[in-house]
Parts: sequence; C-alpha cells; structure tokens
Amino acid sequence: MTVVGLAVAGSLGAVLRYLVDRAVQARARSEFPYGTLVINVTGSLILGFLTGAALHHHLAADWLTVLGTGMIGAYTTFSTFSFDNFRLLTGDAAGTALTNMVLSVVAGLAAAAAGLALGGLV
Amino acid sequence: MTAPADGATPGPSSDAILRVVAIALGGALGTLARYAVDRAIVVTATGFPWATFTVNIAGSLLLGVIVTLVTERWPPTRYVRPFAAIGFCGGFTTFSTLMVESMYRTEHGAAGVAGLYLVASVVLGLGAAAAGVRLARLPRQRPPDRSVGIPDPDTLGTLDRPEPPRDLPGEPA
Repeated sequence: MTVVGLAVAGSLGAVLRYLVDRAVQARARSEFPYGTLVINVTGSLILGFLTGAALHHHLAADWLTVLGTGMIGAYTTFSTFSFDNFRLLTGDAAGTALTNMVLSVVAGLAAAAAGLALGGLV
Repeated sequence: MTAPADGATPGPSSDAILRVVAIALGGALGTLARYAVDRAIVVTATGFPWATFTVNIAGSLLLGVIVTLVTERWPPTRYVRPFAAIGFCGGFTTFSTLMVESMYRTEHGAAGVAGLYLVASVVLGLGAAAAGVRLARLPRQRPPDRSVGIPDPDTLGTLDRPEPPRDLPGEPA
C-alpha cells in the first residue's frame, strides 16, 4: 500500500517539478537556474513542515512517507543541482555556480528550519 | 496546458502528453528506488545520513551520463531525457531531504555531522556529475591496441595474410 502511494506521489512530484521549472525558467532570461532554486527551496519548506508535524505527532508516519519522501522528495532534485553547477563551472561562470551553491544551501536550510518550526505549531 | 494556436492539433499535443507520462513513470521508479535505498541503509537520528548521501551522489553521476549520452552521443530521442533524466534522476535524488536532515541535526547537537554532510554532498555531487559526463564521453570502441603499429616478432608468422584485392583485373566492375 505504501509502495503504491509512494509511486503515485513520486510521479506527481516529478511532474510538478517539470511544470514549475518551465513556468519559472520561462520568466527568467538568465542562465541562472532559478527554476531548480525555487523548487528546492519551496520543497525544503514543505518537507520541513511535514517533518515538524510528524515529530509532534500531528501527522501519521505513513503520510510523512507518502507526502514527504514520495512527493516532496521527487519534487526537489539534487542531481539537476549538481549538474547545473558543473555546467556553470565548465561554462566559465564559476561565480554563478558558487552563487547557486551558496544560495541554494542557505535558503534551503532557512526554509527547512522555518518549516520544522511551523510544523511543530500546528 | 493549451493547444498550439495553429489549429492543427486540438488540445495538448500527444507529444506533450507522452513527455509528461514519461516524466511521471521515471519519477515513480526513481522514488521507489530511493525508498529502497532508504530502507536498506540504517541511519540514526543524528548520524551521517548515508542513504540520502548515496542516492544523491549516485543520481548526480547518472544524470551526467544520461544528459551527455542524449545530447552528444546518441541520435535525437524524444522521451529518453524526460523519462531517465527529469523523471528517474530527478525523482531518485532529493534536495529537500538533505536540507531537513541537515537542519534537524544542527538543532539536535550534531552540527558537525550536518556541516560535513552538506559540504560533502555539494562537492562530491559536483564531482560525480563531472565524472558522469567524462564517462559518457569515453570513446565508443575499445582504446586502440598499441601492439597494432609495432608487430610482435613472435606472432608475425601467424598473422593472417592480407586480403586479396576485391576487384581483380579484367573482371567487370
């Protein structure tokens, strides 16, 4: 049952990522990967919230697995983040690559912290 | 999704629909694969998150291979990138889990583990993507045999005779 839920949630998360990336990147006339940044930061906020809620027993563990591990895990992506950094570094945009790394991690950590705190409040 | 304004195709094109289906299928498989690794590797609440770390580094390597094969090595394909790159690699790897695991450890007295985990993930993820690209760019054939240009005296006598010319003189072409 959890496996079916994970598969469905994972497919939804991946499609959502594709749609959000296209929508954001269409507005950003820049080689900076704004789409992935927006996806990863919003996903960190939501996963933090779900985890915080589960830690305070407001969310069942099965739901954290399906929504958190399944959907948000698939919505956010680390492989594209790594590949973008490689692409920027080898494309003589080391500054942009460094900005992407620092911004993604700092904003992602802040979003996760905010989510964890908010999840404990509900 | 809206139809192209040319009026030739009513509704979203079947190509656009199939791309989304490929992403959904790849995403489902990637998510299940990540879950399998999660179940196989035991991680304590404040220990080093080896499961996510393994998934993220392996997925970065795989994405480097796939993107390079699709864009540089293979003839144009329609659904390989949506299925394997956007779907599978994207669904297999996760950024949000890396962030929440790091923040949880920072808040529970394991900031050192979190820092190491973050730096190792970003640096080795970048290295894995680079390695994947290099791997996919390796020559398709096996590397040239160095002995070809310098005949080994021991085997000279056993070498096949050169092929006779195909168009023998006097025969009609």
